Amino acid sequence: MALLEVEDLHTYFKTRAGEVHAVDGVSFSLERGKTLGIVGESGCGKSVTALSIMGLVPPPGRVVSGRALFEGQDLLQRKSRELEDIRGREIAMIFQDPMTSLNPTLTIGMQITETLRRHLKLTRDEARKRAVELLEEVRIPNAAQRLRDYPHRYSGGMRQRVMIAIALSCNPKLLIADEPTTALDVTVQAGVLALLRELREEHDMAMIMITHDMGVVAETSDEVIVMYAGQVVEQAGTFELFDSPEHPYTEALLAALPQIEGEDVRHSRLASIPGRPPDLISPPPACRFADRCVYASLEDSCTRVLPELRELRPGHFVRTAHPASERAAAPVGS
Amino acid sequence: MLKFVVRRALWTIPVILLVIFLTFVMMREIKGNPFRVTERAVPASIQRNLERKFHLDQPWYVQYGYYVKGVFTFDLGPSLTQRNQTVNDVIKEHFPVSLRLGLLAMIWAILIGIPLGVISALKQNTIVDYLSMTFVNAGYTLPNFFIATMLIYFFSVKWRGWTGLPTNGWDNGLDGWRTWILPAVALGHAPMTYFARIVRGSILETLQQDYIRTAKAKGLRWRRIVGLHVLRNSLIPAVTAAAPLLGFLIAGSFIVETIFSIPGIGRYFVNSVTGRDYSVTMGITVLLSIIIIVANLLVDIAYGFLDPRTRDPRT
Amino acid sequence: MSVQRGLGPASVTERRREFEAALGRTAEARSQEAGVALERASLWRDALYRFAANRAALVASLAFLVALGYAYITPWVDSADPYFVDFSEQYRPLSWAHPFGTDQFGRDLFVRNALGARVSIEIGFAATLAIMGVGILYGAISGFLGGWVDNVMMRFLDALYGLPYLPFAILTIVVLGGQATFWTMVVALTVASWFTTARVMRGQMITLKENDYVRAAQALGARWYRIVFWHLLPNTLGLIIVFVFLELPGVILGEAFLSFIGLGINPPKASLGSLAQDGYAAFQTHPYMIAIPSLAIGWLILSAFFIADGLRDALDPRTRG
Repeated sequence: MALLEVEDLHTYFKTRAGEVHAVDGVSFSLERGKTLGIVGESGCGKSVTALSIMGLVPPPGRVVSGRALFEGQDLLQRKSRELEDIRGREIAMIFQDPMTSLNPTLTIGMQITETLRRHLKLTRDEARKRAVELLEEVRIPNAAQRLRDYPHRYSGGMRQRVMIAIALSCNPKLLIADEPTTALDVTVQAGVLALLRELREEHDMAMIMITHDMGVVAETSDEVIVMYAGQVVEQAGTFELFDSPEHPYTEALLAALPQIEGEDVRHSRLASIPGRPPDLISPPPACRFADRCVYASLEDSCTRVLPELRELRPGHFVRTAHPASERAAAPVGS
Repeated sequence: MLKFVVRRALWTIPVILLVIFLTFVMMREIKGNPFRVTERAVPASIQRNLERKFHLDQPWYVQYGYYVKGVFTFDLGPSLTQRNQTVNDVIKEHFPVSLRLGLLAMIWAILIGIPLGVISALKQNTIVDYLSMTFVNAGYTLPNFFIATMLIYFFSVKWRGWTGLPTNGWDNGLDGWRTWILPAVALGHAPMTYFARIVRGSILETLQQDYIRTAKAKGLRWRRIVGLHVLRNSLIPAVTAAAPLLGFLIAGSFIVETIFSIPGIGRYFVNSVTGRDYSVTMGITVLLSIIIIVANLLVDIAYGFLDPRTRDPRT
Repeated sequence: MSVQRGLGPASVTERRREFEAALGRTAEARSQEAGVALERASLWRDALYRFAANRAALVASLAFLVALGYAYITPWVDSADPYFVDFSEQYRPLSWAHPFGTDQFGRDLFVRNALGARVSIEIGFAATLAIMGVGILYGAISGFLGGWVDNVMMRFLDALYGLPYLPFAILTIVVLGGQATFWTMVVALTVASWFTTARVMRGQMITLKENDYVRAAQALGARWYRIVFWHLLPNTLGLIIVFVFLELPGVILGEAFLSFIGLGINPPKASLGSLAQDGYAAFQTHPYMIAIPSLAIGWLILSAFFIADGLRDALDPRTRG
């Protein structure tokens, strides 16, 4: 049985302008110890998906339908009290901005030990000792003294490490990392990713890595989901995805990566994808990428009907009427 | 930290001097003011006392100097209309009453205002929130005198049978506690609404913060999140908001003491103005100013203690 | 575990070429981008729109207009003479002939309250404008000049914060002659309340001062007062309007307090505060006499407050989309 199975998740936000379909039919499954990467641009629904699983969607949002089976039990049907027991203990989550994710008026030590005492019922001393161990595990020097410090005495990278320490403190089976390195410098980023990798291996922990950076995905994930406008548009193993992307959007994302090597390095500009994602308030019943799609034209069915997510090859799913492998025959733009 | 406290405390001295100066200048401009040597509106014996006390034959800056010295040695001069009474006497007699009234009002404001704000914030946009906010809004938009008179009207007149509360008067003894209730509620009503609003706003803002989301993701019980994470961060701004409340209390006390016939310095201040007892007026103004300045100082220091960020120099 | 980044150079380059060649075809996508620029409406129209969308603010504006209407139209159309003394009509409760009853002299309170409202509103606006004037002047000069001038001016202001509001207003009235007229009230209230405005304006000045168009003006040789009054102030107009409605309640309440204590407008002219004082004498038997002016005060204050709130939301650049 998979550790986590999400089935047809729909999460909508009720706003004055209408109901925003932030997540519109997302499904995936994750095995123990594996890492799933969720990629997409800002606003595509990847964070909301994670929050939906955790039951942390802020109002005016709510999960409208779908299931999130964690070890066979549907999280979306659980009461808040039960979820409180699961969060932090079985499933942990770390967030994007470390500068604001810690309470400025409580010591770091307090913020670590409160989790330990809540879930593992440790005594104060036991919790303190464990907290020091955790800080050492995430390579914070002078761990014992640092426990008494307040967050403002930590740098961004260190705070993110503390967040990781807190997340891992009760040995969760799944860690959801929502853009953990986006707010950090590139050099710090590498360190944090390396740390995550090590800890994952040590604790045999499954992970969901949410990011908009293809490079991060490549480095961390076993399998990748590409999201666009609230839907999954492509899903495959990492290698497979980078080697033979099928969806035009995935291709565009990969093409937008700055090239460091290759014959065109001096001549190519940074390509961006013109246009914006569609308005999610009443999304068109068609492929949502259609108006930015290089291959779509007005007569195509995909401008009227939403393409299904189909398995093009074993383990490789695409939601498009113009997958790359079916395109090779016809010349571009005819 | 200590440096902060000392520096802040030292600043109050020039401020106090300035305030006394302004009051002094204003008092001198008042027509019919016996501080001006030419006006003779006061009985001869007192006038002589005044001249001695305030050195009225000296140039004004000397007078000012003597007055300041008087303030710091707690000698504010004689009353102008009451023979054999100094301003100090007046203050000594009436200030404790106002102090007690003010404290009771503050306690009422905190006891009712803070929980009201907390509940409204936690149950935002529900009927509880709307009702309490309506109550609160009604509280601060209706003038003090109206609240006071309505309290008397309902609790002391119409429903006297049940409550047994007197309409006015003040008994400073402990068993006169019945006389304290209505005035304290009337005076504390506006500050209560102030607290409620500030606390509510502060909590709502804190709830939006990322670290609350983190706390939820850690699986902490909601009760703890609210009790520790939310309240600690929200109440700090509420504390600093308490400082301007003193102004509310002072202004309110004038009205409330007048309506309830309470012998406090608020009522005495008003009487001294209409009765032209200007040394009392001046003395009370100076006293109130000093109280406000000191209160502001204390709040600043308290804030420094509560928010660890102001304690540390930037690393 | 690590994954090879990218693939053979050839296939990637090929793809890029394909992609870039096709860029021209996504015309619709490009026009979408252009549309973004058209959405930015002008500042004032935008603000008006947002204000109108705020229900509380609209209701409050309506309420305020109703109050103004009552104050100014009623005495005009109602034939009852507010100064006519008729002891036989003493203390009449609310009725059609006298919607707000009569007072101890038999005077119709419907009209008297309207006139009182006029006076309170006028004092309120006059004092508020005066506060704006003084506060803006002080704050603008302090903020713009900066340096030690700013320091001194701000320290002075800090000291003034130590003065209790009401006693100071009372002292001012006494200094000005002891009898409150319209203008002494205005001056007294202004003197006691201009501090906050000054401080906020100074903050604004300091922020705006850093803008490039200020440097440009300075480079062109403009004098400082010209820069302040011609360039900086118009940009704070929005803030000023918000502040007018924020200060108004405090001033109206202050006037009411002063009148209630007995330092208010002299009879037979009345303000809401002095009417309340009249009503106070008889409140145990005729509560309506004090209730009505008090409710009128509350009405004005509440509507002004929500209008200020709505204006602030409408004009706040931070909350704009």
